[in-house]
Amino acid sequence: MVKEYNILISSVGGQGGITLARVIANAAMSMGLNLRVGETLGMAQRGGAVQSHIRLGDGVHSSLIPSGGADVLLSLEPSEAVRVAGYLGPGTRVIMNTVPTHPIPVMLGQATYPSLKEITGALEAIGCEAHAMDATRIAWEADAPRSMNVTVLGAYMALGEGVLTEDAVKEALKRSLPARYLEQNLRAYERGFEALPR
Amino acid sequence: MGNEAVARGAIEAGVHVAVGYPGTPSTEVIETLSRYAEQADMHVEWAVNEKVAFDIGAGVSYGGARCLVTMKSAGLNVASDSIVSVAYGDLVGGLVIYVADDPGLHAGMEEQDSRIFAAASLLPMLDVSDSQESKDAVVNAFSYSEANKVPVIVRSTSRVAHGKSPVVYGHIEKVGRKPHLERDISVYTRASPVWCMQQHANLNRKVDALTPLVEKDHNELSLTPGQRLGVVASGVSWNYLMDVVSRRGLELATLKVGSVNPLPVNLFSRLVAQVDRLLLLEELEPYVELRLKALIADQPRKVAVLGKIDGTLPRVGEYDYDLVEKAVLKLIEAPEASDPELASRRDEARKLAPRRSLPFCPGCPHRGTYTALSQALKELGYEKGEVIVTGDIGCTILGMHPPFDMCWTEVSMGASIGLAMGLKRAGVEAPVIAAIGDSTFFHAGLPPAVNAAWSGTPVVIAVLDNEITGMTGHQPSPASGFNALHQPVDVVKIEDMLRASGIDKVSVVNPFNLAESKEAFKDAVQHDGPSGVVLRGACALVARRNRLTRPPRYVDPEICTGCLLCVRTLSCPAMEVKDGKMSINSDTCEGCGLCAQVCPFQAIQGGDQ
Repeated sequence: MVKEYNILISSVGGQGGITLARVIANAAMSMGLNLRVGETLGMAQRGGAVQSHIRLGDGVHSSLIPSGGADVLLSLEPSEAVRVAGYLGPGTRVIMNTVPTHPIPVMLGQATYPSLKEITGALEAIGCEAHAMDATRIAWEADAPRSMNVTVLGAYMALGEGVLTEDAVKEALKRSLPARYLEQNLRAYERGFEALPR
Repeated sequence: MGNEAVARGAIEAGVHVAVGYPGTPSTEVIETLSRYAEQADMHVEWAVNEKVAFDIGAGVSYGGARCLVTMKSAGLNVASDSIVSVAYGDLVGGLVIYVADDPGLHAGMEEQDSRIFAAASLLPMLDVSDSQESKDAVVNAFSYSEANKVPVIVRSTSRVAHGKSPVVYGHIEKVGRKPHLERDISVYTRASPVWCMQQHANLNRKVDALTPLVEKDHNELSLTPGQRLGVVASGVSWNYLMDVVSRRGLELATLKVGSVNPLPVNLFSRLVAQVDRLLLLEELEPYVELRLKALIADQPRKVAVLGKIDGTLPRVGEYDYDLVEKAVLKLIEAPEASDPELASRRDEARKLAPRRSLPFCPGCPHRGTYTALSQALKELGYEKGEVIVTGDIGCTILGMHPPFDMCWTEVSMGASIGLAMGLKRAGVEAPVIAAIGDSTFFHAGLPPAVNAAWSGTPVVIAVLDNEITGMTGHQPSPASGFNALHQPVDVVKIEDMLRASGIDKVSVVNPFNLAESKEAFKDAVQHDGPSGVVLRGACALVARRNRLTRPPRYVDPEICTGCLLCVRTLSCPAMEVKDGKMSINSDTCEGCGLCAQVCPFQAIQGGDQ
């Protein structure tokens, strides 16, 4: 019986973070777990920072993760991992896509973008277990360029957290996403699963 | 999602008509119902504004059918004129108003606490904390409304409206209609003070009569003998409290307040008669707290209250777990559980993240509009920052951000035009331009357009017509050519409305054509009197969904000099800078061609240039 298990998904609008949250929530629901899902999307249709909170377990009542309470962070963009540092704590397991999406001021040289080393360093200083993966490239190689989010899901399942079953997750991929993308998504999932850096 | 649960509640309550105006975080109710309209035998529509939506709702009720009217908090202000009036008379069919507030401002605009409107309108109001309660509150609200002949408000907040939690469905009621209204001007008009005061007294009686029912169905007191510490919580705060209780294994007296009007005063009395210290958890204003304090002041025994008035909790922003936990620890006089070193490491990490402002989407017509306006003003000899553009609600306001830096103000739906007129009357000599979107123009831009023509005030009304209500997620406006059910309807043309308002100087241009739009702006700005420029181009996200976008552009790196004028002028998210030169992401480029028009070296190719 799960009492409280918190998954945080952090992304840039358009990367598929909200869709990923829906797949995970549907998988949890099909397993009969109590759940709450909250989203911080504001006006971010495209290009803004987006966070999804998925909270599982019988002790869960609100749809927002308490500070330091994330068991797992799935970050679809590197700087988005540190943006949500308030929710991370010692022991939070982080899977992070290493491909950045630069805001305009960064492109124009008016703002700086942190290096991967700085990002993983900051995560490790909090006590997180950080796993970096080039999910964008893995999705391309799986011939599923739009399924970067699903490769991260595959890598998450390879962590072996044991809260969600592989059957439930694959079934959720089938039921929550358009059928015409199922094969691409399953390929992306498998590649992501194999790619988890150890 | 809370809003989907509200929609389910409407279906279970056998609602005949659902009508609203899009506004985050309330929009998904009508969107969801539009998908089930046929199945549920329901008429579902978007109105041009919330007042019209509510008036339709009142008409449905007078006509003997059930109606749900939806809006965000700002929309409640627009509808309030009619709501306060309709509250006085008797209803026939059930009428429920769903309003969603936005503590923490996930969607921008004001942190209005709509609970206070219950006091102003005297209407019954329920407050919800999750999806299940959202559904149940709507179902109950219809039965209260119909039984007591009074509109009932169901109030939610962003975290509940957009939060997801499981819902157990109830059965779907088959509600008959009671067609035709009996003519009774002593009930359905407010013209006579004698009738009106009678109606006022009736309203108070109707709400009082609801108290026992509402108190029982929407509030929850847990009080065991001997408990000296209590917490009263409403809305989403209740969930944070339950998280704290569950994580820390606490035993506290608790009262969940789910009815704003009438408040559960009998439960309050039982609680304050026993506890010594009380914590009040409610977002925004100390609405419940003030009422409870008044009750405590009336009893001889003292009860200490921790809330907003003593500064334990803020009146600004939303609550979260940490805020509530801190307040609960203060209540039980336990030390705070904080780790300053870990907190500072988290702060250090957070500081690394670059700011992401909200740009116009790739292919957005508004990017063309503001670029052309900027070029026109420059060619007329105005410096950057010399001309005031009054902005309005919706995506069009994003012209306030760099690189455009055009919009100066944002007040409320349609306010851009009146503000522009006022600035001219205050003596501003430079041109003043009101920038407003199509949906916003229909919502509240028509009366000030008539006013501008009537008073002959020389303002430029730029209507950025992307043929959709963009910011809230693409609901149709009268400019769209389809309705809430995506059935084709005739377009109401904005240029026709402007001309009919009495504005003679009106042009219609394509915002993806910078030269054409620039000339139209120059012409309008130099006109001696009010003028209109309609910039018509489809919303990029809608165009993409309808597969109407053009092939992506690409940069010839041999020609590109790396001047980055395109990035500085347009700041399109489809642009990437690699090795000092601009390149275009072919996945996100919509082929609008604006970058090709600003490149001085013709380095951007492709498309139908």
